[in-house]
Amino acid sequence: MVAPWLVYSLLTILFWGVWGATSKAVANDIDTYMNQVLFTIGLVPVLILVIRSPRLAGGKNRKRGIFYAFITGILGGVGNITFFKSLTMGGRAAVVVPMTSLAPLVTVVLAFLVLRERMSTSQLIGLAVAGVAIYLLSL
Amino acid sequence: MHFPLWLLFALITLIFWGTTGVTQKLSTNAISTESSFLWFVVAFLPIALVIVLVVPLDWHIKTRVYCLAIVGGALNGLGALTSFKALESGGKASIVIPLCYLYPLVTIFLALILLHEKVTRTEIAGIVLALVAAILLSREALPEASN
Repeated sequence: MVAPWLVYSLLTILFWGVWGATSKAVANDIDTYMNQVLFTIGLVPVLILVIRSPRLAGGKNRKRGIFYAFITGILGGVGNITFFKSLTMGGRAAVVVPMTSLAPLVTVVLAFLVLRERMSTSQLIGLAVAGVAIYLLSL
Repeated sequence: MHFPLWLLFALITLIFWGTTGVTQKLSTNAISTESSFLWFVVAFLPIALVIVLVVPLDWHIKTRVYCLAIVGGALNGLGALTSFKALESGGKASIVIPLCYLYPLVTIFLALILLHEKVTRTEIAGIVLALVAAILLSREALPEASN
């Protein structure tokens, strides 16, 4: 049986992949700030999927969990803005886009240091290949 | 020495986006996917509010663009939800996040079919490597679940 985390990761690839296509379709018709506002409006209906969940209560450490979830949103949202700022302040897309697409490598380094995650040899090779693939796909 | 501002902003973006993978995992280590997602969305509200209050916005855009931008937010949100779930289900941040970032595979496929864009040689190389990477990264997941 396939591990649940893999299934959810593949679903993420699918959702984000379609989101990528919608972004491409409107890229020339909308500015960053308007996009960020509409993006946030779009997030709200997804809350309907979780808002009645009994799993909203409880958790091992609520304060800690909420803190990190909130920080995730702030870093993601502010990152969206600094990304477009970089492009509007003279950064060429051909440099900025591939550079920022390598964010997962920052995740891996931090996960090694903070979460003490370790990877198998085949996963390390996979990671290196993923780095090259993500870079090429962003060009 | 001159350090260009655009490079500073690009580096901040790289670090911010990269850090979210770890803060997501730290969150699902402590609370459920559902709670994590709720508070993740809550964080976007003040950012949007500041933009509405501070930036002069151009509301005169086509209905099609409005709809696609909002649907884009929803799709991104669904992906955020499933990525939280992948991490809560025992996926390591260092595997799940690089795997999820292979999403341009799907984008290129859709751009080819719906937007009639051509696939470049670089993209073909990227697609092949992305598939190899996905298989290698997910290897331990196939025989048994990992933690």
